[in-house]
Amino acid sequence: MPPKPQIIRENGLNHSFCGLVSVGWLYQKIKDSFFLILGTHTCAHLLQNTLGVMIFARPRFAVALMEEGDLSASQPHLQELIDEVCQEYTPSVIFLLSSCTPEVIKVEFEGLARSLSRPDLPVLFVPASGLDYTFSQSEDTVLQALIPFCPVAPPEDKRVVFLGSVNEVIADDFLTEADRLGIPVAGFLPADHFHDMPPIGPGTVIAPIQPFVAKTANQLRNERGATVISSLFPFGPDGTRDFWEKLAQAFGKEIDLAEREAAAWERIREHTDLLKGKRVFFATDILMELPLTRFLRACGAEVLECSTPYINRRFLARELEKLEGVKLVEQANFDRQLRDIAELQPDLVISNILSTNPLVGKGVVAKWGTEFAFMTIHGWTGVNTLVGMFTRSIKRHRQLDPLGSDPVWTTGIMPSAPKVIPLVS
Amino acid sequence: MRLAYWMYEGTAHYGIARLINSLRGVHAVFHAPQGDDYIHGIFAMLERAPDFPPVTTSVVDGRDLAQGTIRLPDTLRQIEASYKPELIVVTPSCSTILLQENLEVTAMVSGIDCEVIVYEANPYRMQEHLAADNLFTVLVKRYAEATLITERPSVNIIGPASLGFHARHDLVSLRRMLNTLGVQVNVVAPWGASLDDLRRLPAAWVNVAPYRELGQKAAVHLEERFGTLLLRDTPIGVQPTLRWLNQLIEMLNTAAVQHDKNVEITLPPLTAFSLDGMSAPSMVPWFSRTADMDSFSGKTAFMFGDATHVVGVTKFLADELGMPICGAGTYLRHEADWVREQLDGYVDDLLVTDEFQTVARRIEELRPEVVCGTQMERHTARKLDLNCMVIAPPTHIENHLLSYRPFLGFDGADVIADEVSTTATLGMEKHLIDLFGDAGLEAPVHSTNGHTASAPTNGVAAAVADAPPVAAPPASSGPLAADAPVQWDADAERLLKKIPFFVRAKARANVEKYAREHGHSLITADILNTAREHIGG
Repeated sequence: MPPKPQIIRENGLNHSFCGLVSVGWLYQKIKDSFFLILGTHTCAHLLQNTLGVMIFARPRFAVALMEEGDLSASQPHLQELIDEVCQEYTPSVIFLLSSCTPEVIKVEFEGLARSLSRPDLPVLFVPASGLDYTFSQSEDTVLQALIPFCPVAPPEDKRVVFLGSVNEVIADDFLTEADRLGIPVAGFLPADHFHDMPPIGPGTVIAPIQPFVAKTANQLRNERGATVISSLFPFGPDGTRDFWEKLAQAFGKEIDLAEREAAAWERIREHTDLLKGKRVFFATDILMELPLTRFLRACGAEVLECSTPYINRRFLARELEKLEGVKLVEQANFDRQLRDIAELQPDLVISNILSTNPLVGKGVVAKWGTEFAFMTIHGWTGVNTLVGMFTRSIKRHRQLDPLGSDPVWTTGIMPSAPKVIPLVS
Repeated sequence: MRLAYWMYEGTAHYGIARLINSLRGVHAVFHAPQGDDYIHGIFAMLERAPDFPPVTTSVVDGRDLAQGTIRLPDTLRQIEASYKPELIVVTPSCSTILLQENLEVTAMVSGIDCEVIVYEANPYRMQEHLAADNLFTVLVKRYAEATLITERPSVNIIGPASLGFHARHDLVSLRRMLNTLGVQVNVVAPWGASLDDLRRLPAAWVNVAPYRELGQKAAVHLEERFGTLLLRDTPIGVQPTLRWLNQLIEMLNTAAVQHDKNVEITLPPLTAFSLDGMSAPSMVPWFSRTADMDSFSGKTAFMFGDATHVVGVTKFLADELGMPICGAGTYLRHEADWVREQLDGYVDDLLVTDEFQTVARRIEELRPEVVCGTQMERHTARKLDLNCMVIAPPTHIENHLLSYRPFLGFDGADVIADEVSTTATLGMEKHLIDLFGDAGLEAPVHSTNGHTASAPTNGVAAAVADAPPVAAPPASSGPLAADAPVQWDADAERLLKKIPFFVRAKARANVEKYAREHGHSLITADILNTAREHIGG
């Protein structure tokens, strides 16, 4: 057995979002859903500032706004608000998300969701409060809430269910590829529509395509007797090859995708040449950090630190095997990371959207980690996009005149910053 | 309890962060769950902050609550060590305030040398503007010291703050006018002020505090405590700017007499206020008399926003551009009386609400030619196919442009007038488009198999419909000529449709190029996906 990688755990004083943000992609993924957050002005302000930038159409999410008078009520009354939602929209399912304030005043969510549910319109409780959940983590809890709505498949139904929300383009790629390899597909969890959730039973093979859906995978293994494949996640030629080979194995097929992998590497050689020897620092929170680190190292880059909110050692076991010698940090302290970044001067920092521009201001090339959560980087067709995400910033910054990084160009933008004396006269 | 889709005002902690990110040497600490940290993103994204705002979330998580641990003292020590601020302001969040912890005691336990204030803004009673304004007043009361006034005439500019609406630009406009008058700026606060700057606020001859939302309470305190004259009018529009300049000159001359300074300020020729010092300081008075603006006659405007901008811009549109105002409103309930009084004679029935659906319904009833509102009204206007310009926060990144776009002063009058005329003119072009069809916006696209189809919605379907029955794909046998016809089967077309429309044409061309190079004359789903592997995305 290879030596277990050391994981350093710090105090979590870092920049991140809470679990509510996953609403941003899940409401678009599950097209007949509505996300109702029981929360405060803070939750509403969070959602409009993090998601509002992207959304011009009618959002299928809203906050049941708790005001001062609502704090003393033992159980909030949501029926009228749900009726109001149903006047505007016709959802097939309502996800009721918790947030910090109702957690603190101990709202009993399970019972609340049950009392609001109707046979034709289930209301499903999703714990998502920032007291316990970060950013992409709550997708896992949304998927868990959907499990009872996946029909039970008979034991002889031996097909794969891809686990984790991806857009249609990626989904189609996975369907085409499975078809090529002769692997029968039962569907995706989540499906695009609430009533189309895939059947899952003891014959089902679960293939997780997102690295943050551990609890759902586990529950499907325990409750439905499904087999969960343990592979690298399908990012990059190395991960994609391992993913499909392991998936084929679960169907009794021994396939060798070595040539396919080699060809994929060959196609991105221009990028990997650039990445060779580059020093990359992960200070982000998308829960994709481990597979991305593994891919970057396969590209020839050196990963100085890979920090992530938390690491599920069992679910990410295959990835961890590949990360020997990498500094892995859970719950990073951002202040310490800043000092390390200043000292190490990495060629590229992948950071949270909250801290990227300030990092660029400190003279490093930094990139929004959040973008990885929204780009089509999975599977064979995602390889170019994935590698390009790492090289694009490096290339672009190279093109820029170094004079542009003189502090004179940021003078006066930020009132709290120290007054800057320009170096250029 | 109510259903909220969008909020006009930010939270109390956002208001505090805006204030603290305006000051130098002060740090805010939020005793809050991780999620409250999102406000960093607003500074990083909208203001493109090149450094970290001095705002730290001292994380409280579920385990801390269960175990009764509190990380605040550690956080305070870390902040003192890393940033060495002169003052730390500690605030609970909407969730931690319910825990009723004694943060004063907790802060004391940290044993740090730095001064600490616990500012318990109740987020259920106070939102962005009140929280920022009240905290600013607290700080001004705490630090401003009696001092001799400056030798030369000077003013404090009170009110501009981080993420204030066009605040950085307004500040430039005000500085330019003061410069022209020969008046020096003693302190700008909160924008860029240190605690020392707050200490020497009373050295100014006059305070100008143009924003209702921030700074006027502190300026009133300075007037009561130190006798500094206060000019709180807002110079939005040409005539108000002229009045503002005259009032300011009068106050400065009064102060000169009071303090026995032998100075008399007079208004220079107005051309001195222009960019080149020799032209009209604003184009608005002439512009609004031109025939161009005549075509605007009768175009109605609906106004909605905070207090300062709704009042200022409503008067500007009515008095200086001659536009009928069909309605106005504000989301700042605590300013409603002031706004109503200010807009007496302009608007009969002021709408006071912080529910955007209510505003949307009013706009739908009125269907004005121009909506002047916030980002929410921009959503509404888009939905209703109306023209909208943003005159008040909350804003979108589209409102945070690089170029100089003040709302105050002569320069600001030109900016607002431009915004009105381009917003509404585009509207007229839009009507022409409605009248005469697509006006070239949706020109037909030639698909390479020789069929002409109108893009984007019908193109694929038309191309498929017109294509001859599909035979089995010919075996690939070397590359095809660059102009060889290539066809798509139905599956491949279906996949192509899922690619966003704005890159679809490019994707189509790339896939066809790939197919030709590899000798395929029929594109199947399989070939499409293989091609995408090769060309990415």
